[in-house]
Amino acid sequence: MTVTSRRAVLEAVTTVGLGAALAACGAGTAAQPVNAQPTIPAATGPVKLTYWTWLKDLQSVCDVWNADHPDIQVEAVWIGAGNSGGYSKMYSALAAGGGGDIAQVEFQLLPSFLLQNGLVDLSRYGFRDHLDSFRPADISRVSVGDSVFGVPQDTGPMGLFYRRDVFEEVGVTPPATWQEWLDVARAVRQSDPARHLEGFNVNDPGNFTSYCMQAGAEWFTVDGEEWVVDLTGEPTRMVAQFLDQAFGEDLFDLSLGAFTPGWYAAAADGRISSVITGSWGDALVESVGGTEGKWAVAPMPRWPDTGFASATLGGSTAAVMSTSQHPHEALEFILWMSTTPEAIDLMIKNSGIGWSPSPDFIGTVRQQPVAFFSGQNYNEEVFVPAADGQNPDWIWSPIYLELNDALSTAVRTATSGGTSLADALPGVQDRVLDIMRHKGLRVRSAS
Amino acid sequence: MKGAQRRAPWILLSPFLLLFVLTFLLPVVYAVGQSFTAVDRRGLFGEDGITSSFAGFDNYARALADPTFVASIGRVLLFGVVQVPVMLVLVTVLALLLESASARWPGFFRAAYFLPYGIPGVIASILWSFLYLPGFSPIVAGLGKLGITVDFLSAGTVLWSIANIVTWSYAGYNMLIVIAQLKSIPGEVYEAAKVDGAGPFRLAWSVQLPLIRPALVLAAVFSIIGTLQLFAEPQVLRSVSSAIDANYTPNFAAFTSAFTYNDLGVAAAQAVLIAVAAFVLSFIFLRLVSRRDS
Repeated sequence: MTVTSRRAVLEAVTTVGLGAALAACGAGTAAQPVNAQPTIPAATGPVKLTYWTWLKDLQSVCDVWNADHPDIQVEAVWIGAGNSGGYSKMYSALAAGGGGDIAQVEFQLLPSFLLQNGLVDLSRYGFRDHLDSFRPADISRVSVGDSVFGVPQDTGPMGLFYRRDVFEEVGVTPPATWQEWLDVARAVRQSDPARHLEGFNVNDPGNFTSYCMQAGAEWFTVDGEEWVVDLTGEPTRMVAQFLDQAFGEDLFDLSLGAFTPGWYAAAADGRISSVITGSWGDALVESVGGTEGKWAVAPMPRWPDTGFASATLGGSTAAVMSTSQHPHEALEFILWMSTTPEAIDLMIKNSGIGWSPSPDFIGTVRQQPVAFFSGQNYNEEVFVPAADGQNPDWIWSPIYLELNDALSTAVRTATSGGTSLADALPGVQDRVLDIMRHKGLRVRSAS
Repeated sequence: MKGAQRRAPWILLSPFLLLFVLTFLLPVVYAVGQSFTAVDRRGLFGEDGITSSFAGFDNYARALADPTFVASIGRVLLFGVVQVPVMLVLVTVLALLLESASARWPGFFRAAYFLPYGIPGVIASILWSFLYLPGFSPIVAGLGKLGITVDFLSAGTVLWSIANIVTWSYAGYNMLIVIAQLKSIPGEVYEAAKVDGAGPFRLAWSVQLPLIRPALVLAAVFSIIGTLQLFAEPQVLRSVSSAIDANYTPNFAAFTSAFTYNDLGVAAAQAVLIAVAAFVLSFIFLRLVSRRDS
């Protein structure tokens, strides 16, 4: 960095400026929002659709569809994963008026794309007739009132993956409640000072958000055209106090966020003995070297007397971008992809999706015991009930990433001896209100 | 004939001017304009319409009211105050040693010191991140065996771990600038110094140092601007250190505003502030240096 010149400073400005230029065309000058325009009728001739996605080898799924549907040919175009480039590309394309017909958007980012009027309301193309093909909680995360902006394609019900051998050595069983989790975490710490039950990712505290979702929090609700924010309610406070206690007793390894390079090394030698994460974590846990047969899966710990069996972490939807000329055909393909057993099996096998979006079919390979996880049939045992035991009232906000960073700052402060997480929540809520107002939205706090 | 002569420079300059205006001036002007713009949305998300309006200095006020952005400015200033002088001293010592009469294999060492500059900043940061990461790092493991526990990635140390990467990457390059200046010192000056009885230290202090001052000033200005632009190193280290937030440096904050939060008004305001700060700091530094000259 040290040799860069004055020109480079200006170039940095220019780069940001160009992005600004591109995006402003979309935000400032859009003539009429896509969902206020008349619907586009089904095409009369053959159409070609592009699907922007970072799922690997999704083309193999498209190929099966293409063979049976000569009039609707779908091409998968690989883009960078979500925030690592894919979304920037989509924002730019929306602004420039180009882009794919279908795009992969994570559940929690869907509302952010709505801020750009970037997605087609699928209820205008008949999607409401197919709501029964999905889980109600998944649908509530893609709906606003009667409008639906994405089709669940891949979800992430949460469970507890643990090193069975380490648990046996320490003499503990998987915790059924969060209170028990504290006891197990203490026992693991006492067995060996180098050990922690679990890591915690300070830079991406998505787990905290999911724990609040499980505890029954409703951070965001909608009242007419106004957002109502509640980050200080009882469920959130309870989870924050739980984390404060765990941080205070050094029960989390804060340098080892799940699935970071250091985490894999620690999980391999037992310094980390469990991880609470989405069902997609199984593929990542399987890449922890030399631990075949030593892992098992248990349900997520619960809050006594309140909350839900599980929560979700991650997961994606297939959405139709507002620049698409063929929403009708795009929806037809998406519905096939996310509800047909053949397509779901292919997406599991070739693209590695975390959890089937269909409540009727979890995938052929997921109905069998898995040797790596001690021969446990964990998908049916743990994740089917987890997928059904979700908080139906949880919706995502249009400022997910801003909120996640604000929570990250609060956790960083709490874990370095500053204000506790529970005490930081009112401040985070004020910040959320401020950010949303700055986005031009109407918003108030719940209390 | 005369008209053609007058036109010729403009015709020859036009390819440059066209690209310069299109890809440089216009975007800068646009970014400045964007920094004065705010959006308003009707409906829950803006589904009933989105309008842009003039916001005055709102975006600047927001950028400066954000404690993490202000902290990032303080952080790079601290970084610059420590890292730039340390690197320049190192650079001067290396250059003088390699250019001294008793240096062995100066060509080899010159190339060796320069080599890190050929490694892109992102790759260098990835390399170093593994040298800092407990469980992977031979340095951490080696020190641990000696009974010394270090954490290169904690809140108190990670800034200096970044400074180490930056120094490693750019010391060799700045050293070459200084060596080039040393080589341009005429032989008669050395001879005269020798006749006057100057030893190697006296030669370095009274002859070489004053004469390489312009090169050091240049390196210092580049380094000050470069410090304000710190980006790749913290961004890469963020994946292994929980002490680095998404607004760790001003440039990182502008990037996050633009490409993570999609908040282009504030991002443009932050970028303009960085450019102005770089301009002001370089100007102050040059003024200080030239005042001493006169």
